[in-house]
Amino acid sequence: MESLKTRKITSVWIVIVLALFIVAIILGILMRLNQGTIIQQSPVTFYGNMTTHGLTMIGIWFVAGMAAVNYLMERYVKTSYGVNLFALICTIIGVLMLWSSTFIGHFHAGWTFLYPLPFKVAWAQWATPVFLASLVVLGVGWLVWSVSLMSQILKKYTLSQAFAWQHFKKNPAVETPPFILITMVTLVGVIACLLAAVLLLVLLFAEYFSNGSFVNDALLLKNLTYFFGHTIANEMLYLGLAVIYELFAEVSGRPKWKTTWYVAVAWNLSLVFILTAFFHHLYMDFVQPEGLQIVGQLASYLASLPAAGVTVFSILVAVYRTKINWSLTNLLFFIGVAGWVIGGLGAVIDATISNNFVLHNTLWVPAHFHTYNAMGNVLFSLGFFHWFAHKFDVGFNIDKNAMLKLTLILFGGIGFLLAFYIGGADSIPRRYSNYPPEFTMAAPLATVAAVFATFYLLAILLFFLNITKKCIKIMSSTS
Amino acid sequence: MYKNNVFYFLVIVIIGWNTSVYSQQDNIAWKEESHVYTKVLDAPLKGYGMGDSTSLLQIAHQNPTILALIFTRCTGICNPFLLQLSEKLEWEIEHKNFNIVVVSFDPRDTEADMSALAKRFHLDQEKQWIFGVTDSIKSLNKSIDFNPIWDEARQQYDHEALLVGINSDGYITKKLIGMRSTSDLALLVGSIYNSFTPTHQLPNKNRLFSCFNYDPKTGKNTPGLGLLFIALPAILTIFILFASNYLGKSERIG
Repeated sequence: MESLKTRKITSVWIVIVLALFIVAIILGILMRLNQGTIIQQSPVTFYGNMTTHGLTMIGIWFVAGMAAVNYLMERYVKTSYGVNLFALICTIIGVLMLWSSTFIGHFHAGWTFLYPLPFKVAWAQWATPVFLASLVVLGVGWLVWSVSLMSQILKKYTLSQAFAWQHFKKNPAVETPPFILITMVTLVGVIACLLAAVLLLVLLFAEYFSNGSFVNDALLLKNLTYFFGHTIANEMLYLGLAVIYELFAEVSGRPKWKTTWYVAVAWNLSLVFILTAFFHHLYMDFVQPEGLQIVGQLASYLASLPAAGVTVFSILVAVYRTKINWSLTNLLFFIGVAGWVIGGLGAVIDATISNNFVLHNTLWVPAHFHTYNAMGNVLFSLGFFHWFAHKFDVGFNIDKNAMLKLTLILFGGIGFLLAFYIGGADSIPRRYSNYPPEFTMAAPLATVAAVFATFYLLAILLFFLNITKKCIKIMSSTS
Repeated sequence: MYKNNVFYFLVIVIIGWNTSVYSQQDNIAWKEESHVYTKVLDAPLKGYGMGDSTSLLQIAHQNPTILALIFTRCTGICNPFLLQLSEKLEWEIEHKNFNIVVVSFDPRDTEADMSALAKRFHLDQEKQWIFGVTDSIKSLNKSIDFNPIWDEARQQYDHEALLVGINSDGYITKKLIGMRSTSDLALLVGSIYNSFTPTHQLPNKNRLFSCFNYDPKTGKNTPGLGLLFIALPAILTIFILFASNYLGKSERIG
């Protein structure tokens, strides 16, 4: 069973994630209102907000998944409280540094900070090193946390057991819980992408401090940027899935899920494919070898099949003609899986080279990644947050606003995403602070999206109030 | 097993390093990308075939422009460069309405020298060709990052054969250094009409970790150390994984 300290630090993580999420949503709504010409932001403010919004969202939902996995892992192995705390401190410092570089220093190179943009200084001189240093702080904290969790698993399970290789044969002597298998596969991917970030930042700093005696290769840095960025965005979804494999059956009053041969095969294959799918971000880079472009398309298809196929199958089998104790937690999990699959389909469509020529840098891109994040991964974590907060609530334990929250999330989320999809299908470009009049649908769609996103925000505010109250109780409890 | 892993890792590192070091020996610090997308200096021009225009930007505002830098007393590349340019751009000129402005960077050259040069190449009757001099040559050179060096012994300039594409707004869209192929010139012409032209940084001795190293002599790309760097995070992760497994072994047994 988890320790009191782990319970308390998980509460802190949850409150911080939800608070930062609210700020990041507001920034997103402001961006859409600006695109809709309802408010007037300078391009510097718009792109500064875009940078903050993107990196904050990636960061908070990664740590949300990690905090949930860390908490649940205590059921199987002992985890390090010190490392958890170190990651929390690094995250707080990193976010403060990041926000100062964007809000005060006006750094606005986008969350991808594609080389050589960080060095084309159109902001305060100090903002570039502070921005890069913020990523170092975040990266170091998360890397240490990931390596620590992986090491703890390997203190109980052998390497082959952690990857459930014994399940490839009939009647394995040792059973690897699905939670351990998925967490292990995900942590390996997380470590690889964080090491890519470390390498990327080392190269960027080397150029920054070399006074021109060292310059980087743009192709190498773009590959490393997406090795990090694409992979972490996907791995954080897998952290959420690990939580679902652990909790869905439990909160639904069903027998716990077991690892079978096809679950083991699927997740092992996912590890390989997810680490090579990022090549699809370089379809437009003519200098990238054609072979890697083909690998990018194949890996994008293959990465989505095993994990999604097995998970959807498992969820459908679990709920089909079965008595389920539906609660807000498993409803969020169930809807989240649907959002993940829909967003994933949008991603696969875009990852097809022939389609990418049409959809590249249109609103289709934010459409698909907002689908599997806002209506997928966020719901996985919200499900965990809700379950965690209510687990230790000794008082009246029924969430009266559950239906209201779900309705607001679905109504706001679907409307907000539809505006992106319709815009993408209409070839409206993304990353425009102001749309030229030729894009007649762009501004109205942006306004509609902002209105729907406000309903989504209301739902998150309700979650925040309800969960924070309970988390503060947990933080102050002594037993 | 661990020994094997370490051995394979070292082999990959050594092969990658050697490939990169070997292929970077021929790197030349070309600077085709410098000052691209910056505005060219509006240098006042005097010369042949200019019509009413009095400056480089005025010419560019009328039609997109290719700027060529030469000097009339050149005993080196200038003449073959100009001859090749006139031959290879012939087809493009017939189909597109752009200017080719040939400017001398030698302060000794006069309007008459440039006019004689135009006649020598039979370009004096071609209305898209303009031959001129400017009294702001130093500033013009600076604005396009062109750096001819006077060689006292040879009484000649040591210089690159440079072409600069300038669009109608006066921005440098592309630069070509050296005697280039027809397809490269077609890309240059496309760029001054604001068409997308693929470009990539050229070899540079300060770029140590290129994914590919282009050899301008053979026209071939060879894999560079940068490719190994893309794989490095995965290789390091495998190393950490095996190390963690090795360290965890004692606790599992205990």
